Amino acid sequence: MIAYNTDWLDALLTKDTARKWHEKGLLSDEKWHIIQERHVSNFYSPNVFIRIGLAIFTLILLLAAGGLVAIVLEPNSDLGLSIFSLFCGAICIVVLEFKVIQPGRHFGSGIDDMLLYVAVWAILLGICNPLHYSTPALVYFSIAWPFLVVGTLRYLDRLMAVAAFICSMGVVLLLVAEIPHLAIYLLPLAGMLSSLGFYIFSKQGQDRFAWRHWHGILLVVELLSLATFYASGNFYVVQQVGVEWFQVEQAPLAWFFWAFTFVVPLVYIFQGVRQKDRHLLDVGLACVAVAVFSFRYYYHVMPLTWAAVIAGAVLFLTAYFSIRYLHRNEGSYSYEADSETSLLQEIEQQLIEQTIVNQPGPRPEKRESFGGGQFGGGGAGGEF
Amino acid sequence: MHEPILRNLLQQELITPEDAEKIALFESEKPFSLHWELKTLLYLGVILLNLGLGFLIYENIDTIGHAVIIVLIGAVSVACFWYAVRHRKPFSLGEIKSPTPYYDYILLLGCLTFLIMEGYWQFQYEIFGTRYGLATFIPMVLFFALAYWLDNRGVLSLGITAMATWLGITVTPQDLLSQNDFNSAAIVHAGVFLGVFLTVIPFLSEHWGVKKHFSLTYLNFGVNILMISTLAGMMALRQTVLYFLLLCLGVGFFLWYARTRNSLYFLTMAVLYGYIGLTYMLIVHTESLNFGFKFYLFYFVLSCAGVILFLTNYKRFIKNDQP
Repeated sequence: MIAYNTDWLDALLTKDTARKWHEKGLLSDEKWHIIQERHVSNFYSPNVFIRIGLAIFTLILLLAAGGLVAIVLEPNSDLGLSIFSLFCGAICIVVLEFKVIQPGRHFGSGIDDMLLYVAVWAILLGICNPLHYSTPALVYFSIAWPFLVVGTLRYLDRLMAVAAFICSMGVVLLLVAEIPHLAIYLLPLAGMLSSLGFYIFSKQGQDRFAWRHWHGILLVVELLSLATFYASGNFYVVQQVGVEWFQVEQAPLAWFFWAFTFVVPLVYIFQGVRQKDRHLLDVGLACVAVAVFSFRYYYHVMPLTWAAVIAGAVLFLTAYFSIRYLHRNEGSYSYEADSETSLLQEIEQQLIEQTIVNQPGPRPEKRESFGGGQFGGGGAGGEF
Repeated sequence: MHEPILRNLLQQELITPEDAEKIALFESEKPFSLHWELKTLLYLGVILLNLGLGFLIYENIDTIGHAVIIVLIGAVSVACFWYAVRHRKPFSLGEIKSPTPYYDYILLLGCLTFLIMEGYWQFQYEIFGTRYGLATFIPMVLFFALAYWLDNRGVLSLGITAMATWLGITVTPQDLLSQNDFNSAAIVHAGVFLGVFLTVIPFLSEHWGVKKHFSLTYLNFGVNILMISTLAGMMALRQTVLYFLLLCLGVGFFLWYARTRNSLYFLTMAVLYGYIGLTYMLIVHTESLNFGFKFYLFYFVLSCAGVILFLTNYKRFIKNDQP
């Protein structure tokens, strides 16, 4: 089911987990070396910068190659264009499967990522091209859904997972929107229920050892479902959808959605801190910002500048005193940097560290030559 | 997820039961780190506060007394600097660890509020008159001094930005500046000069042993300013041959740097900028030959395949004997 060598994926997982224990001093150097030798993964997973470079050049190459094929085949009808697109998509998949992944041992190298995206894009273009322009969006979503899901599951791609999730929610919501009279009441409910379903599914899936290779995918689903759950009941979203889709100026049950807008982020944060669930906490913090913006959209209690000054000061002081508190009270919470970084933090780390504060100094690339001389690992190390 | 892995390692006898017990205890009792969340809040707080204060002045420039605003912002700035100076660690030419977790942010806030205050002075009282160079020269000197004294790469980045602005304003004749003509050759020349200058500094610093860990910040600015300036020289000034040669020298230098220092960031940057320059040269100089679309498509396919081949074999390019 997975295109990549699962033994190597397992070896990567074991090594990544053992590395954290080694860094914390729980494993001796000697044992760590033996674990590395016994769990060999020969994937080609280059550093993140090389990955970006490879992805860019692969995209240009594929577009130019597609152009060349188009000049030779000269597709000039709608049907011809569709067949041409499908053909290109199929070629990409064949190259990906039988050239890049199997003999090439690529895994997250930029080349395999880009081939997958271009292939899925070309296939969907090929199928959707002959459709009449009045075709409802639901049809497009339904066509795309199986391809996105298969692409996610077989190639373990997180970006594909995001697309598949959005597509799934789109199908559900567009279906509910078709229900006459009741749609405006059912839409928020449908959004909440399906988000809840996805959340429970991903939480339970993460505990299943058999699904360990999809752990990263399930994390993406978890984060997105938390976000869509909140969005389903946020007053701004509900009101805007009411205006856009149903021409209803005044959203029904306004008091409920206002309460939802403010209570849910607090519940997220509270539960996140209590259960030590980082994703709940992080999404909760983001939702607070959304709640504030939603409120400001309808009630201009104070000028934006004063709001920014006060909010900035409050944020700064909150963080300042929390850090001071955590420093003085060692316990089950700490301000020490955790080696375990979640997906959100990885993105954030890139944003903050690379821009202004604490740019990491030049450090020699850690060489981990063992086995066949290739080094595995997530590839996205801190090498510059 | 760690339990099955732990069991697995135990079964393979790669770890002892004592290790496993220790690890299991650690996993169940490890503290929940709020590091990233709080750091983000600090960062957002600094940004919001600055945006708010900046706009506050802009809006109330006529209503509140100028003195009040200046005193207010100046007080924030001074307080931040005072904190930074009071809590500083003893000076050293090497790397100094931040004394407190929020130290970097407070220093950053101080620098940004200083900029706002200075801008206000200039706007309201025109203390620098039309000598805009001086207006950017002062923060530049201040930021560089602070960056070296208190060892902060964020402030160093601000200083380099101020330097780029200062140089850009200084080399541009007054009348051009007022006409918003930024396409002038002077800007490109200054850019090339600045890029080379910023690229040379790290080597001198490393030679003299002064703040070696600033190298990456300098080189990061250096590579981008140098490459963009030479590309601008090719495209805007239409002096393709001269600036293409400069670009090639730059690309060659950073490839050498990447090769000897194991730096994949500079490898990718050099390849990307070099490819843009080469492609531009090819397109401009074959314009008159009417090669047709097919020729360029072939060029893209073959050149990209070459670059991909090069990048995938980066391990052979990067010297392995470096530590």
